Amino acid sequence: MRILVLALRRIAWMPPTLLGLIAIVFTISRIIPADPARVIAGENASPAQVEALRQKFGLDLPLMQQFMRYLRDIVNGDLGISLYSQRPVVEDLLGRLAATFELAIAAMCLAIMIGVPLGVVSALHRNRWLDQVIRLATMAGLAMAAFWLAILLQLFFSMTLGVTPVQGRIDGWGPDQITGFYTIDALINGDGETFGKALRYLILPTATLAIPAAATIVRFTRAGVLNALSSNFVFYQTAMGLPRRTIIWKYILRSAFIGTLTQIGLVFGNLLAGAVVIETVFSWPGLGLFAYNSILQSDYNAIMAFTLFTGSVFIVVNLLIDIAQTLLDPRTR
Amino acid sequence: MTGKFPPLTINRRAALAGLSATGLVGMHSPAFAARQKFVTANNNPYDLLDPHQLFDIGRIAVRLNMYDALTRWVDNPPRLENWLIEKVTISPDGKVYTFVIKQNVKFHDGTVMTSADVVYSMERILALKKGAYGLFKDVIEPGTTKALDPRTVQFTLTKPFAVFMAVLSELWVVNSALVKKNEKNGDWGADWLSKSEAGSGGYALRRYDPAIGFQTARFEGHFAGWGKNPIDDAEFRGVLETATRVLGVMKGEFNTTDGYLPAEQMARMKENPNIKTWEAESIRTFYFIINHWKAPLNDVNMRKALCYAFDYDGFNNKILSGTVVRNNGIIPNPMWGAPKDLQGYTYDLDKAKYHLSQVKNVRPLQIGAMAGYPQSEQAAQMLQAGCAKIGLEVKIVSEPYTTIAPKLNDRERAHDLIPLWRSAYFADPHNWTGFLFNSSNFDAGNASYYKNPRVDELCNKALIITDQDQRRVMYEEVSRILVEDAAGIFINNTKFHGAFTKNVKSIRFCPIGDAQDVRWIEMQG
Amino acid sequence: MRMRRLFRDRALLIGTVIISILVLVAVFAGPLATFPDHVTGFDPNHRLKAPGWQFLLGTDRMGADIYSRLLFGARLTILIAVTATGTAVIIGVPIGLIAGYFDGWASEALMRVSDIFLAVPQIVLAIAIAQTLGPNIQNVILALSVTYWPFWARLVYAETRSQRNEVYVEAAKAMGASPLRIMVMHILPNIAGSIIVRTTIGMGATILAAASLGFLGLGAPPPAPEWGRMIAESREFLPQAWWYATAPGIAILMVVMGFNLLGDGLRDVLDPRIRRGGGDGR
Repeated sequence: MRILVLALRRIAWMPPTLLGLIAIVFTISRIIPADPARVIAGENASPAQVEALRQKFGLDLPLMQQFMRYLRDIVNGDLGISLYSQRPVVEDLLGRLAATFELAIAAMCLAIMIGVPLGVVSALHRNRWLDQVIRLATMAGLAMAAFWLAILLQLFFSMTLGVTPVQGRIDGWGPDQITGFYTIDALINGDGETFGKALRYLILPTATLAIPAAATIVRFTRAGVLNALSSNFVFYQTAMGLPRRTIIWKYILRSAFIGTLTQIGLVFGNLLAGAVVIETVFSWPGLGLFAYNSILQSDYNAIMAFTLFTGSVFIVVNLLIDIAQTLLDPRTR
Repeated sequence: MTGKFPPLTINRRAALAGLSATGLVGMHSPAFAARQKFVTANNNPYDLLDPHQLFDIGRIAVRLNMYDALTRWVDNPPRLENWLIEKVTISPDGKVYTFVIKQNVKFHDGTVMTSADVVYSMERILALKKGAYGLFKDVIEPGTTKALDPRTVQFTLTKPFAVFMAVLSELWVVNSALVKKNEKNGDWGADWLSKSEAGSGGYALRRYDPAIGFQTARFEGHFAGWGKNPIDDAEFRGVLETATRVLGVMKGEFNTTDGYLPAEQMARMKENPNIKTWEAESIRTFYFIINHWKAPLNDVNMRKALCYAFDYDGFNNKILSGTVVRNNGIIPNPMWGAPKDLQGYTYDLDKAKYHLSQVKNVRPLQIGAMAGYPQSEQAAQMLQAGCAKIGLEVKIVSEPYTTIAPKLNDRERAHDLIPLWRSAYFADPHNWTGFLFNSSNFDAGNASYYKNPRVDELCNKALIITDQDQRRVMYEEVSRILVEDAAGIFINNTKFHGAFTKNVKSIRFCPIGDAQDVRWIEMQG
Repeated sequence: MRMRRLFRDRALLIGTVIISILVLVAVFAGPLATFPDHVTGFDPNHRLKAPGWQFLLGTDRMGADIYSRLLFGARLTILIAVTATGTAVIIGVPIGLIAGYFDGWASEALMRVSDIFLAVPQIVLAIAIAQTLGPNIQNVILALSVTYWPFWARLVYAETRSQRNEVYVEAAKAMGASPLRIMVMHILPNIAGSIIVRTTIGMGATILAAASLGFLGLGAPPPAPEWGRMIAESREFLPQAWWYATAPGIAILMVVMGFNLLGDGLRDVLDPRIRRGGGDGR
């Protein structure tokens, strides 16, 4: 019952957050530019076309009224037409969602696989040399410019050793679409060759994206384990004569894992944001590359739609993780 | 069938619709396993397929391979061929063009092309106001193009226009019935055609993903027929990273890539035994637009100071490692109308200083470089450094071309100087002279806001007469005047450096479209 | 006593050294540079040269000395980091103080607004803003300030909440001090430590974000020796010109690490409530 209330409270908090996000994007797109009609029409538009747009979008109306219209369009799933391709932006965004998610989820898994063990080891060796090394590596992981790391990896693994592709998502065309995740679709189709290919393309972008995320996870896990180690509970268990191994495996790791889980929303958000830059370097055809191309084409509608879209995805993902966490965490049970 | 044509993101329906109509389905059966495939890795993303919205040479493959126009450019130096046209009649005043189009030209869905399709395509360009609109807007009014009978179409020009036949190469004919069927709220089918195809060209769209590129299969029923050993499948991919494109050609994953790679990458390709390279002087001049509207750039001394302050040799031969050729005037060297003995400016700081000293009210200047085009930024830096040596302050801003382009036609907002290319959309000196420097083209192509009555007179006259020798004399004079007036800083003409896999036997290079016209490419069997 | 502890702390020491070097390099970029005119100037005869005695870190696509440009880039980096972070602090701290000290719908609203900002990836918002305003340094700074202030608002809000019922605040209230006076003279000094720690680490984050914007072409135009832009330029010349991206990347890494180490070290000194080596992730 209590879980339900908590979950409902989180869900209830979502609409105002989304509304706020819309308000921010509205401010950026309609209030900051001196003449939004001119910007939205695209720079190629004639004065008459700009005027027509002003009428069409009601840009001459009072701001509040404009906002209501803007809201109505968004509720109807209308994020505007790309100035460049003339397609509804939402189509392109949805078409690229799977690519970004495949990358982000792969990176998330890798980051957890690296981050949690390292964090635990680091905590158990607190202040000894192994801990120092891991902490230094963590620091470096957090301080590295992701696009630079990407270039270094490309230089070494793709251009010098030639073991991974420099960029792209697959050689040519992906497998039959079921989930939109190339690796999973290839597995479902039983196409081992395509799976191998897709995996090879996935390695470098995933690694680049995973490194800062892993660093964050190491820090949280380490802190979580240290906390657990110093808790009365563990002290009590040790006093009871339980073997150290059991205590570590059964109690400390569990609490560390839950501690990590609480931060996964944050980490996932960073992954989505990092994707903008990483996808550009690896020409990974996801949301981030779409945003970059839109920047190059000054496709204003597309950039605003991307901001709104990514923001919403981010908020929803966080909500889902929050709820999952509430369900998993024994303390709320 | 779904096995062969995987459902794919948003484009599935469009691609499949095109397919079932073209009857291509059977062609992909295993019996055709030995089909010859040609893959191009382009430096631009193919995020748009509408032939009436695209106008760049970088993505001309879309137009050349899937569509046909009334005329077509081939070979180098470029030669204009009547393509869809069987017969032309031009009225004595040079204003009415009547064409009979060839019999039995078929679109990919089997519909026979009629003059109504040509009319619709013309109206569509004029309505969308994108792509090649600028070529037609001054001479053709909406609603004036007539279909006299199913095969006869008549254009009535507002004034004589000697290059009309030449610009018709950008009037790509779309299947009007098919496009109309997909119109939404009077958008001329813009949404639909941005990701589908309604053409009659040599290759028909089979699969498209804006994030990857497009796949085509040869259209057996093309009106022009096919040679002995044509390529069956042509694939075009947008691959942004230069290193990947180069690596891909070396490994044979791609058959070719764009022809304008940095010298260092080109050198790597030339060393590779699996690669064949072709070199050809293109017709694409690189220059700085000078905005004459803004003082003190209206002063010829100011402009001459700039022309003398640019290190041509340093830029062409060192920064670009000699991958380009010095071009003294605006018309590319290989083009007729470019005077062979034209004297250009040299890098001479003393002369630059002298001319600068003659200018009153010198102010800091601003260069609008094109973001994402390293050469444009590098040229801006080159000029900035030269100007710094004569005590002239220059500031650079870097903006995407889409931001710079509209300002070109707005004299107050335009940057003082813009380093860019003038590509060949049609091979006539008018492309570089009348279009760019005739004062009647203010706000519509003459981005320099340059005005010289003699240039205007010559450019106008050269558009009325059709005799090439007479026109040549006029354009040569225009070329000289433009240099004398320092109308722009003319820097180089581009060279095409094509790299192909060894199994490509021959290409038919044409500067309009580079080597992207797959019809002319032959591979070893 | 305090000084000794300061230097006993390795993180703090290393962080201080790195940041001092950064500042020194920025101040003395002119004398330290081997080619001081290569901020705008260059030498096309020596284009894309590998590192050597003449060009310590190699040359770039124009034939400019990367080492010299890197030094001048430090100035740009400091300028962006200090102004953008400073502005974010100036906006965020008062909002956090006011919302934390007072109850009521206005406080609630201020915090909800900052929550919404925090709910969107910062770099994405910064891209949208920088794109709207046009690519140059001022707009990068503005975009980053606008997206980063909520971090300080949140922090100060939480700290103020925990302080406002402390005895010293009650005492000041009893003495008849105005709310403004209590906030500025009493609460602020008590939470300054956390703000300084957060600001130091925030500098690193700002530098990374600014470099990303530069890399995407939304930063300073050429020939500004902006580190992110230098890395972006290099991509066309890979793999031959491996040195082109290496040096600016290491510079970013060192400086961001410097700020993070300094922040961690300061946390131990200024904020005794957080145990050494624990850390809250950032």
